[in-house]
Amino acid sequence: MAIIECKNVCKNFGEKVALDHVSLEIPEGRIFGLLGPNGAGKTTLIRIINRITIPTDGEVWFNGRPITQADVEKIGYMPEERGLYRKMKVGEQAMYLARLKGMSTRDAQQALKEWFVRFGIQSWWDKKVEELSKGMAQKLQFITTVVHKPSLMILDEPFSGFDPVNAELIRQEILRLKEEGATIILSTHNMESVEELCDDIALINKSRLVITGGVEQIRRDYGNNNVELVWTDAEGRHTEVLPRETDGTSTLRTFLEKEGVQINSYKELMPRMNDIFIKLVTEGEE
Amino acid sequence: MNWKTIGIIISREYLNKVKKKSFIWTTLLVPILVAGLTIGIMVAVMNTKEKTKAIAVVDRSGIVLPYLTDSETISFQDFSAMPLDSVKNNLSVMSLDGVLSIGPLDSLEKTVSADLYSPKPFGMELTDNVNSRINRAVEDYRIASYHIEGLDQILKDVKANVHMRSYTLGEDGEEKISEAGVYSILSMILGIFLFLFITLFGGMVMSAVIEEKASRVVEVLVSSVKATELMFGKIIGIALVALTQFLLWLVLSAAIIGIGGAAIGFDKLGGQNPSEMVTSMSGVDAEQLDAMTAQLSDESELSVVLSTLRNLPYGQLIGLFLIYFIFGYLLYASMFAAIGSAVENEGDTQQLQLPLTIPLMLAYIIALYAFRAPDSSIAFWGSIIPFTSPIVMISRLPFGVPAWEIILSVVLLIITFVIFAWASAKIYKVGILMFGKKSTWKDLWKWFRQS
Repeated sequence: MAIIECKNVCKNFGEKVALDHVSLEIPEGRIFGLLGPNGAGKTTLIRIINRITIPTDGEVWFNGRPITQADVEKIGYMPEERGLYRKMKVGEQAMYLARLKGMSTRDAQQALKEWFVRFGIQSWWDKKVEELSKGMAQKLQFITTVVHKPSLMILDEPFSGFDPVNAELIRQEILRLKEEGATIILSTHNMESVEELCDDIALINKSRLVITGGVEQIRRDYGNNNVELVWTDAEGRHTEVLPRETDGTSTLRTFLEKEGVQINSYKELMPRMNDIFIKLVTEGEE
Repeated sequence: MNWKTIGIIISREYLNKVKKKSFIWTTLLVPILVAGLTIGIMVAVMNTKEKTKAIAVVDRSGIVLPYLTDSETISFQDFSAMPLDSVKNNLSVMSLDGVLSIGPLDSLEKTVSADLYSPKPFGMELTDNVNSRINRAVEDYRIASYHIEGLDQILKDVKANVHMRSYTLGEDGEEKISEAGVYSILSMILGIFLFLFITLFGGMVMSAVIEEKASRVVEVLVSSVKATELMFGKIIGIALVALTQFLLWLVLSAAIIGIGGAAIGFDKLGGQNPSEMVTSMSGVDAEQLDAMTAQLSDESELSVVLSTLRNLPYGQLIGLFLIYFIFGYLLYASMFAAIGSAVENEGDTQQLQLPLTIPLMLAYIIALYAFRAPDSSIAFWGSIIPFTSPIVMISRLPFGVPAWEIILSVVLLIITFVIFAWASAKIYKVGILMFGKKSTWKDLWKWFRQS
């Protein structure tokens, strides 16, 4: 089932068209990558899903019905342009944002304490935000995004500003939240994390939806359906790209039966998401 | 509108501002300064009255000296035994402020010559006082020369002492003793205060909006609450800060003036009523009466000031001050919020603010004019047109304004506020999410039409 359905969503800013009839479905309980070059309309689409911006035309459905303002309590959003009140204390600030998401004071306090323990930052509660380093502030920002246990999380460039250790921590948390049943929309330019984390993607370019679907399927579709075989015989090491057969084993079997041949590796050749991205975006230029 | 979330926004905004050190300090210090200044001036005024001038008298006529009795402001010392020149040369040694020389009695003309010498010139009040005593001495001498029995008693009986007081007539026919000066000063104070309050707290709204945009927290916030809820929560929160400060100032000032006033016996002076003072005077000798007159008129003036102050419709003034502050503030604060949403740092607001600061300055100038001519047409229109009405109307109020004018101006102000708050919210909604580019009024207009 789709947690979010965009139905012919259009957004115009005066003369400028930011989104042009975008329709897509975001399946529940999966990680959905929202890709596209800068200025393609990703942020506008995210803001429409968040009800920050009202679409000029079209509808967004949430859990099978048109989205309402009350639904934003079930969404957690970490925008790309994010920050916190610098002069406010960490605890007060986290409480404030949690309560704006509809949590009671007691629930917010309890949930925040748990998160602070999990991240090992209990001692920050009474510090001012301006005393935190950028990475520390990002951790706090992540907590405030997820503290109200949203069923949908929208993370815009979540890894920017994190050092590799903290980026890994956030990556693990995202996977854990997915396991707990949450849906995550990930908007990023980092194609490696798309390959690693995302189950499905949508690519938006120049206000239009270019492609949407499962990551595996898209990579397969844009590849040549080849396999790469590396083997060693008396003459040395060989690499050969072969078309993949329908049964997937006959080529390999003939090699296995040869005398004096040692197979080093056999793998499906899939194009990198990065290459697909560049290909699709530059095709759009022409 | 979700009032629960607005409530959360209001309380954050309010507590955040009220807990600031700067808020606590201004709240405490301003009334102390104002009250200190007020009491200081009062004490200064009262002390100047008490300072007596010592005047040496060299009376060669023999008739004037008995009339020169000491009063609160002048003390006379008889130096008739000494030559005038030596007294003149030794004034400072004998700590005298001047010397009055009365020439020998001209028995033919039945008059005297009189000269007053002093290193520093005396005020009119003193010279008139002394001169009238000399005239009285000469008059009495002339009357005595007619040898009519009981004449001085007859003269005393016919002596008139009338002091005119002015009253303002209330609509219910109630009469109140009044003093135009009090109204003028009050008018000026109210106008300046309202101007400062609107500018100060409107500016605070703008800063708060800019802070949220600059720190990039705003997009996180509007993913939880509607932009309009955020904007009005902020405006209401800061309005409550302003009202808190206003009430604390009122209470603290009243307390300080009350305590300070009681300490210097300010109340006793004000408690006396001019007519009582005149009655208590009637037993005073005729020769003293003139000496007292100057003082009496001074004191009764102060008394009129105080009774004018006492008779002011405080409830009405404070109530209307609050109404004009609230709606004037709401009107300007929402526009300030729209401007704040368009910039990322305070430095960029200068140009955008201009259309707001001009009507505010204009209102201020008209208000300063209104206290001199409260019923002039510029003051009238200034107090009806919504952008200037809060400041101008409040400064006209002490002089009395017909109810229909007040109602009209309040209704217009509220309507204007609703329209401009709606327009500002539309601009704000778009503006807070615009980063990177320096915005102009043209952009604001575009955002208004877009959303």
